[in-house]
Amino acid sequence: MSLFVHRSTESPQHAADWDARRVLIVNLRGIVGRAYPRIIGAKREPSWLLFEILLPFLTTSAFVFVYRALNAPQEFVGFVVLGGAMTAFWLNVMWMMAAQLYWERDQGNLELYFSAPVSMMSVLFGMAIGGLFMSCTRAAVVLIVGSVLYGVVFTVEQWGLLLAVFFLTLAALYGLGMVLASFFLLWGREAWHLTQLLQEPVYFVSGLNFPVARLGFVGALAVATIPLAVGLDAMRQLAFASSAATAGLLSPAAEALILVGMAVLFIGVARLMLGFIERRARHEGKLTMKGT
Amino acid sequence: MATIAPNARDAAARTRRQEIADSWRGFRTAVRLGWQTEANWTDPVLFFIYSVAKPVAAALMLVFMIEVISVGQADPGLRAFVVIGTALWSFVMGGIAGLAWSILEDRERYRMLKYLYVSPNTLLVLLLGRGTARVAIGAFGAVITLGVGVAFLGVPFDPAVIDWPMAVAAMALGLVSVLALGMILASVAMQTRQDAWNYPEAVAGALFLLVGAVFPLLVLPAPAQIIGLLLPLTWWLEGVRQALFPGIASAISGPGSVYGQLAGAGAPSSAETLLALAATTLVASVLALLVFRWAEHSAIEKGLFDLVTGS
Repeated sequence: MSLFVHRSTESPQHAADWDARRVLIVNLRGIVGRAYPRIIGAKREPSWLLFEILLPFLTTSAFVFVYRALNAPQEFVGFVVLGGAMTAFWLNVMWMMAAQLYWERDQGNLELYFSAPVSMMSVLFGMAIGGLFMSCTRAAVVLIVGSVLYGVVFTVEQWGLLLAVFFLTLAALYGLGMVLASFFLLWGREAWHLTQLLQEPVYFVSGLNFPVARLGFVGALAVATIPLAVGLDAMRQLAFASSAATAGLLSPAAEALILVGMAVLFIGVARLMLGFIERRARHEGKLTMKGT
Repeated sequence: MATIAPNARDAAARTRRQEIADSWRGFRTAVRLGWQTEANWTDPVLFFIYSVAKPVAAALMLVFMIEVISVGQADPGLRAFVVIGTALWSFVMGGIAGLAWSILEDRERYRMLKYLYVSPNTLLVLLLGRGTARVAIGAFGAVITLGVGVAFLGVPFDPAVIDWPMAVAAMALGLVSVLALGMILASVAMQTRQDAWNYPEAVAGALFLLVGAVFPLLVLPAPAQIIGLLLPLTWWLEGVRQALFPGIASAISGPGSVYGQLAGAGAPSSAETLLALAATTLVASVLALLVFRWAEHSAIEKGLFDLVTGS
């Protein structure tokens, strides 16, 4: 008698018919499995150390020298270093998560994901974990080397809140990345270009190198919608607590609450969207086709 | 008895004139393909926004940094300096990224690189065609950024004082140097995996520091200034600035600058700028050709043209 009996089910997860423990283990394995190629890939091809760490550090340095040419107060150099560190996460979310499902389809992996008894959120979470390895390295180098080289002095009074804001920013950013991954998959070839579009304009409205409050209404709108903007504004206030130049739009605690709301919203929407595209992929059978 | 040719190009017995005509046709086709790949994914309005959003946002960010520090009292000359630098940087982004992304797209996404390689045209001609299309899109962004600078950011602009011969010569040489740098990045992309999408931007970002795009070189440490003086992009930006805005602050000279110490003079003249630009462009172009030939050979040896990676 065959172990595999055909029965009609909604998804591979239902077909597996596993208990909760096994579902958890398989999803954890899925996360590790999807993170693995990114981490091991970085080890096998060390060129990323030059292109993902040293050269972006030089880009950040360019903005430091803009402020130096203007004889700006030293805090502004600190803003640039902090912003340079956080761009690592934004770029990771955009390139290695939002646009990733679209590329996975081009490579023929997407149908494998849909047919595996693993949640798509686990796959995307694995991508995030794998990508975080490079992003954290880049952010740490920018922050540490930038601070030492350019004499940035951080004055942190609320370490707990600063760490909480940082992790909430990451949660909201990666939640947004999952939402965008679903949209980009539906939009097809536009995904690539939209990834491009969501860099400099987002840096500008997020106040990457200056307090976002100086942008007035545009800054307020960014704080209400873009995790990078609200996270940076809160971290800037917390990392340079004694500086009048930080001039946050809201208090760090209020911005932390906004980040909680964003993280819950984006992850919830991502769950709905991923469920939608999985259903659509199975029912219509077209989502995994290339060239759409 | 039929023989197997070592490669498709050798098999095509053509005269020199036919070769040039074929190369030109291949180049035109590559430009057209590059343009369509870049432009036909959306409607013209969104394409327009996409083309100008990046350079305009980059210019706005820098202008805003100036305004925040100067509390709204910034010198219009300083704004002009920054706006021109960011506008021209569109060409650099287009040229450098264009060639490298063509390699990555054709190898990883469309999986056409191996077919392009065995076609009768040389890969270099096809890549230059694709790069030219991206440079054209960069030109679009540069013009709009300059327009925004003149219309909204108080950049002083008088067409009557433009040194047109200097502007044309500097632009022509500058674009050659941009494409040469793009060839070097394309060579790197041949050797690396799919994740190299970010590499061109990283290189362009690092060059942004060294070429006086948005601040004068003299604020950099001396070794960085020397590297900047050896790069053609530095002289290109200087030449175009001098041509479009005569009398604008020089990014190269200044009290205590390495150039000042070496040349013992003030800002370089137009002729000196063009000469330095021509010399550095020539060196960059020769270097790019050598690196490209090595990368092409290495890719054939290692079978990288039909290698698909992922992470």
